[in-house]
Amino acid sequence: MKLVENADPTRQQVMQAIVPWTGRAHIIGLTGPPGAGKSTLTGQLARLLVKGGLTAGVVCIDPSSPFSGGAFLGDRVRMANLNSEPGVFIRSLATRGKLGGLSASTAEVIMLMDAAGKDVILVETVGTGQVEHQISHLADTTIMVTVPGLGDGIQTMKAGILEIADIFVVNKADREGAEATARDLAHMLDEFITGGWRPPVKLAVASRNEGTGEVWEAVQQHRLHLQGTGQWEQKRRDRLVRIMIDNVQAQALDRINRALEQDSLLQNLVRRVADGNLDPYAAATFVSGYLWQRQT
Amino acid sequence: MTKLFNEAAIRQTAKETERWRKETLQDKGGSGSYTTESGIPIELLYTPEALAGMEYNRDIGYPGEPPFVRGIYPNMYRGRLFTVRQLAGFGAPEDCNRRIRFLLDNGATGVNIVFDLPTIRGYNSDDPEAEGNVGQCGVAVDSLEDMEALFAGVPIDQVSVSLVTHLPSVTVVLLSMYMVMAEKRGIPFAKLAGTTQNDFLMETTVGSGPEILPPQASFRLQCDAIEYAARHLPRWNPVSYNGYNLREAGTNAVQEVAVAIANAIATAEELIRRGLPIDAFARRMSFFWDLCNDFFEEIAKCRASRKVFYEVMKNRFNALDERSCLMRFHVQTAGITLTKIEPLNNIARSAIQGLAAILGGAQSLHIDSYDEAYSAPTEQAALVSLRTQQILQAETNVVNTVDPLAGSYYVEYLTKEMANRIWGYIQEIEQRGGLIQAVESGWMHREISNYAYQQQKDIESGKRKIVGVNYMRSGQATQGNIEVFRYPETEGRQKAKLASLRERRNNDIVTASLAVLREKCRSRENLIPYVVEAVKANATLGEIEEVFRQEFGLWQFPLA
Amino acid sequence: MERKVVKVVMAKLGLDIHWRGVVAVSRLLRDAGMEVVYLGNQFPEAIVNAAIQEGADVVGLSTLGGNHAVLGPKVVQLLREKGMDDVMVIMGGVIPEEDIPALKAAGIVEVFGPETAIDEIVACINANVRQVG
Repeated sequence: MKLVENADPTRQQVMQAIVPWTGRAHIIGLTGPPGAGKSTLTGQLARLLVKGGLTAGVVCIDPSSPFSGGAFLGDRVRMANLNSEPGVFIRSLATRGKLGGLSASTAEVIMLMDAAGKDVILVETVGTGQVEHQISHLADTTIMVTVPGLGDGIQTMKAGILEIADIFVVNKADREGAEATARDLAHMLDEFITGGWRPPVKLAVASRNEGTGEVWEAVQQHRLHLQGTGQWEQKRRDRLVRIMIDNVQAQALDRINRALEQDSLLQNLVRRVADGNLDPYAAATFVSGYLWQRQT
Repeated sequence: MTKLFNEAAIRQTAKETERWRKETLQDKGGSGSYTTESGIPIELLYTPEALAGMEYNRDIGYPGEPPFVRGIYPNMYRGRLFTVRQLAGFGAPEDCNRRIRFLLDNGATGVNIVFDLPTIRGYNSDDPEAEGNVGQCGVAVDSLEDMEALFAGVPIDQVSVSLVTHLPSVTVVLLSMYMVMAEKRGIPFAKLAGTTQNDFLMETTVGSGPEILPPQASFRLQCDAIEYAARHLPRWNPVSYNGYNLREAGTNAVQEVAVAIANAIATAEELIRRGLPIDAFARRMSFFWDLCNDFFEEIAKCRASRKVFYEVMKNRFNALDERSCLMRFHVQTAGITLTKIEPLNNIARSAIQGLAAILGGAQSLHIDSYDEAYSAPTEQAALVSLRTQQILQAETNVVNTVDPLAGSYYVEYLTKEMANRIWGYIQEIEQRGGLIQAVESGWMHREISNYAYQQQKDIESGKRKIVGVNYMRSGQATQGNIEVFRYPETEGRQKAKLASLRERRNNDIVTASLAVLREKCRSRENLIPYVVEAVKANATLGEIEEVFRQEFGLWQFPLA
Repeated sequence: MERKVVKVVMAKLGLDIHWRGVVAVSRLLRDAGMEVVYLGNQFPEAIVNAAIQEGADVVGLSTLGGNHAVLGPKVVQLLREKGMDDVMVIMGGVIPEEDIPALKAAGIVEVFGPETAIDEIVACINANVRQVG
């Protein structure tokens, strides 16, 4: 796992070897605004799973500092009682500059946990308050965790959320306005969803482990729905394609960056743009053409 | 009511100051900007202008009268000197008992008992969690018998004893042990004088731990102890709102006081809800301040805190008994300012902080020992601390007039500014739904974490100077030759005593008393009477705490 | 591809209550470009489990509570038992000078007192950490 996280040269071999072993785990994404209690709910779900005899992988993602590249990964604190739990494997990842709520190596870490035989993999996104759509490409089931009083926030990101979330959880439901938030969500869903899976809205107080069972129940329902409609298999196929595309893009970007750093012709061009002797658009067109020809 | 300076006088002074600036000061004032540690701007010079609009009676007043800026007693230290309350606590109860008696024999007038981490966090010495910590940095107390050994030969009907229990959940057990011990000695509860710390912030915010009770549960136990004491222990301070550890964890002087008072507000609301009138309990609340190095700001903090507390009790809770409005506080000099490098410098730091405590009107004082960055104090270091207090009391003549800094333009300005900022921060907490909400949401933790981080960065950058560490550092970063206290072997002895106790006691009664306690945890009843029963049955600290942990559940504080 | 990043697992040892130092140091290590997984209060077994799961290069233990002598070496020993010999273990907090040789003999790479500059800790990690990735 260390190899994939640090993009070691042997990563390719490792990943190629494990692909045939993947596809078994139920991958669940948890997204939502900061402070909604994603970590706590993730921890409670993991605990519930191991009690039920299942094994769980947990991936927690936190932002890297844009200045230093370092990161403070604090999610384990909220899952502290799982540190000695043999059925649970937790891995904290930093975004390392990647947008969209995931880390560059999230897919690989999930694949490894899947191949290692984890029954369920819980992926907790950064939680920037933005719609973190990336997770829905990787996960079978996406859970949107929110709290009472964030109604306005939900309104503004409504469209995006309704598209990606399969289950809504109103956490901290002991607070005022929980019922109202749940009702508002349900109304929005009624307007938006036409046929197919109708995302349920669940209330929970994760800090007191209330409602975890109901959330898990909804996850199970969603899984049955996916399997009944053939989407379970489809998601797996899509995921592999998505991984391929992501890797193509990453490799291309890597090559471009390297070329910009190393190719003296390109560096000359960069200097001319910086000096104001060449307009950036013309330069970009030239560079793309140049790189494309050089690569092929 | 007249103003200290009439408007004409202020105008005249302003004119004179302007003249002085031009003619005498000229360009010698420098251009840097100066602030106190909490960020209050500091001018080069203060004049009566700083006191414009102030009325003496209303804003400063007389000692023993509202708003108590100048002190809570009319005669202050002439009536009674501050209590010389030195910390003691290490090893087994039998070891610590000897240190208590050493301090009392050398003129200490009270003792502060600190407990080891397993005790503080509610574990027995033979719990696996306790490994490596038994008798370290405090005394181990597992049972009623340990409490009795700790105070053997100590006249607890005459000596004021402070039990630094930190957590409410531990307070209710150790206080119960103390009461049962007194009862067995035939001492009436009315004679027990002392303090328990009992602050839910210690359980949920200031200190971390592997198993923490949720804020609501911890707060309930805090209020249980206060309610019980209000009814049965007339001379006991059942709570010492702990600004000290909050400050050490990472807050400034304003936050330290504001959060402690916000806790007092939350407590008062809860006890009133339970049916007690404010005047039945408010005078039993006490406070605990950390005096750091910003000398005048710390003095102003002490003076301002009395005023804010008075205003809270008088205006918000309509206290009728003036004693309800008196903020009594203990001071400990700031452990956070002590350095490991050149430890003898700490004697100077602590003495200056101790002086500030006296000028601020503290009721009791602990002066840190110079070797605290190493270990618990050696006997020699503990004696230097004690002697520092005695030098301040007997040789410096500072205790013989009340509030000698009153009327200083600077100190009065700072006091006013402090009070305003304390109020501002209290309001911020209230806007977040009150203190318990502010803790549950993790806001309080973030405030601490951010301040501590900033402080550390300021030290790294040299903006904040520490002599011998990042400023005037001598070539060799040596520690000097000081003796380091070695803890006596304790774990083995405590384990043996526990094994023996479990053999001797009637385990059926223990189980039955714990079952009753467990059931009562689910009710809203005050739990102290049931803890007392369990203690009488020789249930151990760890066994009682386990009931709390199982019944109230565990909580991990949010930390981003 | 991506550059190598040092991953540090930081924990408060056992019952010790003082979290400000370890959190401040964690944030400063982040500022120095490291990824820091903060565990809160943990006992040796759980710390080692987390270090394995996280693929930690460094384990940082913080204690002001006097439990360093017993619990510190235990972490190193458990790491060795799990074949994680190359994970570097460091400690910080209030630790008496004369206990340090024994801790170092037990395999703890460095022990930092309360007045250590962060640069010193970063330098020590960079000099001693295994080659990452």
